[in-house]
Amino acid sequence: MESAVLKCENLSKKFGKKQILNNVSFVMQKGDILGFIGPNGAGKTTTIKLILGLQNITEGRVSINGYDIEKQFTKAIKKVGAIVENPDLYMYLSGYENLKLIANLYEGIDTKRIDEVVKLVRLENRIKDKVSKYSLGMRQRLGIAQAILHNPNLLILDEPTNGLDPEGIKEMRELLVDLAQKEKMAILISSHNLAELDNLCNKVCIIKNGEIIETSDISGIKKEAGKQFKILEVDDSQRAKKLLPQAIVMKNNQLKIDIEKEEIPEMIVKLVENQIKIYGVKEEEKSLEQAFFEKTGGNVIE
Amino acid sequence: MSNLIKNELIKIFKKKNIYITLCVILAFVILTNCIYKFFYHSGSYQEYNDNYIQYAKEELAKLDPNKASDTKMYIEIKSTLDIYEMIQKYETGSWQREILSTQLASHVNEKNTYLYGENKDSQKVKEIDETMNQILKKLDEGDWKYFAEQELEQAKEELTNFKEQKANTEDKQELLSLESAIQNAQIDLEVAQVRLNKEISYGNDFRNTALNGYQREAKNVINMETGTQELSYNDKREYNTSLEKREINRYIFENNVDINKTNNVRGILKSLFSEYGLFIIVMIIMIAGTIVSEEFNKGTIKLLLVKPYSRNKILLAKFITVLIMIVFSIVAVVAMELIVGGIIFGYNSLSIPVLQYNFTTQNLQTINIFAYLGIEIMTQLPKLILLATLAFACGTLFNNSAVAIAIPLLGYMSANMINMLVIQYKVQFMKLFVSLNWNFEEYLFGNLPQMEGMTFAFSAIICMIYFIVMIIPTFIAFKKKNIKNI
Repeated sequence: MESAVLKCENLSKKFGKKQILNNVSFVMQKGDILGFIGPNGAGKTTTIKLILGLQNITEGRVSINGYDIEKQFTKAIKKVGAIVENPDLYMYLSGYENLKLIANLYEGIDTKRIDEVVKLVRLENRIKDKVSKYSLGMRQRLGIAQAILHNPNLLILDEPTNGLDPEGIKEMRELLVDLAQKEKMAILISSHNLAELDNLCNKVCIIKNGEIIETSDISGIKKEAGKQFKILEVDDSQRAKKLLPQAIVMKNNQLKIDIEKEEIPEMIVKLVENQIKIYGVKEEEKSLEQAFFEKTGGNVIE
Repeated sequence: MSNLIKNELIKIFKKKNIYITLCVILAFVILTNCIYKFFYHSGSYQEYNDNYIQYAKEELAKLDPNKASDTKMYIEIKSTLDIYEMIQKYETGSWQREILSTQLASHVNEKNTYLYGENKDSQKVKEIDETMNQILKKLDEGDWKYFAEQELEQAKEELTNFKEQKANTEDKQELLSLESAIQNAQIDLEVAQVRLNKEISYGNDFRNTALNGYQREAKNVINMETGTQELSYNDKREYNTSLEKREINRYIFENNVDINKTNNVRGILKSLFSEYGLFIIVMIIMIAGTIVSEEFNKGTIKLLLVKPYSRNKILLAKFITVLIMIVFSIVAVVAMELIVGGIIFGYNSLSIPVLQYNFTTQNLQTINIFAYLGIEIMTQLPKLILLATLAFACGTLFNNSAVAIAIPLLGYMSANMINMLVIQYKVQFMKLFVSLNWNFEEYLFGNLPQMEGMTFAFSAIICMIYFIVMIIPTFIAFKKKNIKNI
């Protein structure tokens, strides 16, 4: 597909005998926001480093805007902006000087563009201060500023919400959605903080032990992960559990049960007949996080 | 590419390190100039040391002149002390002191031999006392010309003597040695004439130093030229040194210019690399060793490597930046010396040229001090570039700033020691070692290099090979490097 912004095909990476990545493939189109999810040590950062040409690819290929990252590095990387791991900036320079350094390396970035980006990430009041005086959150913002300075069409952010306060996370989410919609930027975000990706991404890639175990639209993964839960509030959860073996006991005398809507009246009758008081029945939608844990089966570092 | 270099320069000059280093260097430049200004004195001939006198007195008290085993020692120490007592009267560096310690010493020694030695002879002692009193009288009168004239007479006398002897002998061996003696006497004659004509007094005066130096070196040259033995390579180098010193000393007393003066701006600039060479090297190594390794340590290398430039270009830009910083370091130190030295000494000395004996054309060249400095810098550049390259390579390969700074510094310091040993013991295969080749000063003006069989082209090729061996693996390793988690 010619219009794909980022295409990873069967990426594999070995360090010595240890297989870090195995057959990782995914595609990103214009305007996509891809959530790249996995537990620690699953290979998220390694994948990003392979995409950016920071490490050698053992097998497979990456192409960005149609250019191969290994064979045509400069062409491929030209329209990419990235933060890898931490927002590593020159601490002894001011925020503005950092941006100026980046601007020097691309053609046609004037001071107007720098000011515009600074305003976009809301750093205008502190931009002349030394980066060593910035908080982690401010460095994160500056990191995003340097990544989008040259109007890339692919933005790669490795755990960008680290160190941001809830307000900051909300702002960034708005900024990223804006970039994806208005500038048609493709954005790849790796994260283990799933809650924030829930409302942000339109695609999700779940990686575990170096292998992709799920790629789909965000709504798809939730639907696929299973039916909605029903939460029952009763006076004695232990006794109710005996009657409903498939239910899971939760705190506050609540039970979580995975049944169809049509089965609810039958279940209520059964409980009432056994003198169990029911205070309420409600539906709960499965969060991305729950779907994620179901898919990855928890956090195992091999 | 130029953008990358510009960025590297911005990064270097925004760091505090470089300013701290420059400040430390400036402090040492000021200190050096102040010491030269306020504490410098040139000792042209040996002055008596108070500690030694104290020691001599104690020794003398222990010795008994009547004991046969002590006699010789006693006479020696007594003579030294006698001269010391006589010298006290005259101020340090005066011409009287020089005459006393050169001409009177033999008389004092002779007198003491007759006084305390085995053959005591009061008649002889009296005679010697008379001669000495005459000399002392002339000293007190301030009549230095008397001594110069005496030297002149003596030289003339010797010359006629040797010439007569030469006419009467036919032995080839003796003819040769007589020829040498005649030439030596001619030098003595020339020196005495110059002294009288130009009124160059004895004592602590640069013209006298030059004249004495001329006499010594000219005799050296004659002895080596007329010597019967084949000159070894080291002798040839020594011969060249004498030749050069002879010509320079001649220039000094003929033109009345104190060329060798070290305590002025010109003198310090002339020996810039022996005074401040280490500062320049430390600064260069610091920059070259950290320019890559620091980006790795701080993680900023990732920022740089995802820009649309190939890794080769990024590393090349850094290396070119290092080369620029070498030039900057030298210029900075020269500028500091010019400013600090100018304030302390003034700039008058800069108009005095530098003398250089050209061994190919066999004459003395005068070079402007700045032109000389330029040549000197050019000859030092290969060494500086090689050290910087070593630091750069270590920094890139090991990603460790401390190692990248320590290894080149260690190498530089041990290289000096190895050079000395290799030259002393003539270790031929060590000609291939870089530190024997990176000093291109050796090849200037047709002089003989430190080791036989080394040429400019040879050294240039050796330096080039070392450079390539360091730089190519560095570029390959950088290109292939996996950027691990930082």
